[in-house]
Amino acid sequence: MLAELSQLMVETATAKGERNVSIPSLPMTENYETAKGFCITSGFWMMIATFMGLLGATELMAPDILENIGWLVFGRVRPVHVNLVLFGFVTPGLLAAAFYYMPRLLRTTLYSEKLGVVSVLVWNLTLVATVVTLSAGYTQGREYAEMIWPVDMMVVISFLLVFINLFLTLRTRKEPVLYVSVWYVFAAIVLTATTYSLGNVIWRPGSGALRGIPDAILLWFYGHNVFGLLLTPLALGVTYYVIPKAVNRPLYSHTLSLIGFWSLIVVYTHIGTHHLIQVPVPTWLKVIAIVDSIGMVIPVMVVLINIWYTAKGELGKIHADIGAKFVFAGTIMYFFVSIQGSMMALPQVQRVTHFNNWVVGHAHIGVLGFAGMISLGGLYYVLPRIAGKPLFSRFLADFQYWMVLIGVSGFTIVLTIAGLIQGNAWLNGETVYRVLPQIHLYYVIRASLGVMIFLSAVVGFYNIIRTLYFNPGESAS
Amino acid sequence: MRMTPLAIIVGSLLLLFTIVFMVVVTPWYTTRNQAPSEIFRHRETPEAQGRLIYIENGCVYCHTQSIRTIDWGIGAERIAQAGDYIADHPILLGSERTGPDLSQEGGEHPDDWHMAHFVNPRFTRPMSIMPAFKFLGTDKLRLLTSYVQSLGMKDADARVLRQLYWKEAATRAYEAGPVENVRWLHDHVPEGWRILPNPYPTTPAGLARGHKIYQDFCFGCHGPIGDGMGPAQPFIYPPPLNFTILKNTDISGGILYYQIMNGITGTAMPYFKKDLESEKIWDVGNYVAVYFINQTDADGEPKAIDAANEPMDMPGEESSDQPPVGPDLPE
Ligand code: HEC
Ligand code: HEC
Ligand code: HEM
Repeated sequence: MLAELSQLMVETATAKGERNVSIPSLPMTENYETAKGFCITSGFWMMIATFMGLLGATELMAPDILENIGWLVFGRVRPVHVNLVLFGFVTPGLLAAAFYYMPRLLRTTLYSEKLGVVSVLVWNLTLVATVVTLSAGYTQGREYAEMIWPVDMMVVISFLLVFINLFLTLRTRKEPVLYVSVWYVFAAIVLTATTYSLGNVIWRPGSGALRGIPDAILLWFYGHNVFGLLLTPLALGVTYYVIPKAVNRPLYSHTLSLIGFWSLIVVYTHIGTHHLIQVPVPTWLKVIAIVDSIGMVIPVMVVLINIWYTAKGELGKIHADIGAKFVFAGTIMYFFVSIQGSMMALPQVQRVTHFNNWVVGHAHIGVLGFAGMISLGGLYYVLPRIAGKPLFSRFLADFQYWMVLIGVSGFTIVLTIAGLIQGNAWLNGETVYRVLPQIHLYYVIRASLGVMIFLSAVVGFYNIIRTLYFNPGESAS
Repeated sequence: MRMTPLAIIVGSLLLLFTIVFMVVVTPWYTTRNQAPSEIFRHRETPEAQGRLIYIENGCVYCHTQSIRTIDWGIGAERIAQAGDYIADHPILLGSERTGPDLSQEGGEHPDDWHMAHFVNPRFTRPMSIMPAFKFLGTDKLRLLTSYVQSLGMKDADARVLRQLYWKEAATRAYEAGPVENVRWLHDHVPEGWRILPNPYPTTPAGLARGHKIYQDFCFGCHGPIGDGMGPAQPFIYPPPLNFTILKNTDISGGILYYQIMNGITGTAMPYFKKDLESEKIWDVGNYVAVYFINQTDADGEPKAIDAANEPMDMPGEESSDQPPVGPDLPE
């Protein structure tokens, strides 16, 4: 039975593979305004987000550089950076690709480009509101759930607009079989809208928080799901689309797709408390979190085996397409961040790694290396296709690829070293203050790597704009 | 399995709600009536207002409020308990220690230390990377200080009271003039320490180490020339000690050591026993003695057997009753 169905999926995938060839002859009524909008959104906010990151890194290195400019103080720059990366750069980039591939996988057109453009506008408005409120000190002070209630509402509305548009697209589909990417996109949007509302305690507009230890449990349940139920499924959706297309092959296994999808939802949602292993929360909850964090090996490896086997022997084709190249690098980062994450959930490891730059390194492999690279990959994959013209500059895109790759690998190295220094020194009884000069060097290198990433974001934005609007290239149609 | 829209959307939502029930609702239900811990108390209004300023300015991104069993730093005497947090809304555990844990910060320092530190952390802690918060203005900094002084709740209250008690005594002594101040300061140093000379010999390497430690830990208050005119001085009362007034007093290496190790509660002079190990404290003490007080008893009498690493012919070695060179080896 399963074999039969996977055969079916293989056939649809092959059918898609054929459609790949016929991309230019698709109904030209589609103008991809929504996908374009999300591409520009992602490219623009990547610049701002990485700039804020660079600013924060610089302040850790030279704390008086912006002395007494209240709205640029580190404690405000950091949440602006984090939220812009999550909701400004990575998520819109992944959505840009989704708005391109969803109608195609469903063999229909987007329900409404107008609604799509509205959702892009609301999304950007939300981001502006986020920057303004957080910089002005309007915050709820809970990591990843900082935004005040009105902005929370705007976030939820943005997700709902996207959901409505895609759901109505689904209703008009001519393709009976739903491809894996479609599962992930719907799950990501529905589950994130739900966990976002829960995690931000939107029924308490004033504080957006519970009281005491339950607040920490809820916060990290939600906080972890930002990665587990938003970034990861959206990024996997793009991966499942781009890789088989790029190598022009059916997916390796439908069964693995199914296992990967459902186990992700089941396992990822259990592990939020691994952020609280050293805190007085109920022990049974820590046990669940640790066991399931190790169990994360299953959803991760199942997906990666599926993807890597699909691409097996065809790395040349992946290398040839800059989008696929980004995505494939992202899958490797996914491997590293997840294996590392499983280790980090072990109490013995956390004695050293908790509370220091090690975790910051992990966060960057995850969000920039994995989700961010795949977001850029999806974006570069769809850009020429929605522009109807080749990419303005493959060279600039390659440049960005290397800058991001070197940047994030460098981050990992220096932040891990800094984290090990801090963690081991603290275990030995050295005070936090004493260790500061020891990690200064790594803060300097980190900020320099930040310059590379920021510059690559500027280059990327230029490339996106030129591809879409001032493109001298031959029109593909 | 056939993946229909229903299966995907409703299926994943059902899973989510089941899991939320298990890992969020159940723990909430079992911990929601958490009894207060023995140190718990509610916050006063200024403390609560200060907490809002703490949230607004993202102190939580650099400071945790959760002491673990494996910690050694500030507050390590008391491991966090669930009952400490029952009024925290939101809870501010934090996820990174760019700066130290603050759950037991209350009463670690007197208020004037905090005001100087908030205006610019480098004033009291020269190597700090904490941002300056002068832009908040004096009123908000006062509120922030009262919040920080409440961290640790009843334990903090006891420490704050002790600071206030000794602040009054220290202020009185300071205002009675340098001679009286020095007498007061030294009267509180236990007898054994007062007569103890610095057991380390004065060496260029030792003085260089002392200089480095002085720059990294003391410079902001006592100033580059040890006259107490560091950048923190305008905020601190009694002001940082001018070391030159110690010349020709009963000052000893032991007094310097004891004061640096233990701090002077009630004044902004912090204890350094967590930051500096023994040799470092002797080194910085001797640096202060040699360069600012202009007299040192390092390596003077009474003296024990030379430590293995000590240079062979130090000044004063002749008067020692020990042989300058080791005993002849038996044949
Ligand atoms: C960039 C990270 C950072 C931010 C943001 C930050 N701090 Fe700090 N904080 C530090 C570091 C590093 C230290 C240790 C060096 C020092 O004492 O200045 C420290 C030390 C402290 C201390 C002294 C602890 C002690 O007794 O030695 C207090 C109190 C403090 N911070 C309060 C705050 C408050 C209140 C805020 C928000 C208004 C804040 N910090 C924001 C990094 C930060
Ligand atoms: C935050 C400011 C501050 C810092 C930092 C500081 N001190 Fe002090 N120090 C003081 C104050 C204030 C006094 C007491 C003044 C009084 O009561 O008159 C004091 C007193 C002393 C005394 C007492 C002398 C005596 O005769 O009893 C010594 C010794 C001393 N400091 C050495 C140091 C050293 C060494 C360091 C660095 C490791 C240091 N201080 C860092 C503020 C500071
Ligand atoms: C198997 C998968 C993973 C596991 C088991 C895991 C585990 C962990 C653990 C245990 C921590 C907390 C570390 C600590 O505080 O000591 C953590 C933090 C973090 N993880 Fe992962 N991780 C995984 C994958 C990912 C992925 C894919 C991403 C990004 C898309 C990611 C992003 C982050 C971020 C941003 C943090 C920092 C949270 C903070 O602000 O403290 N992780 N992870």
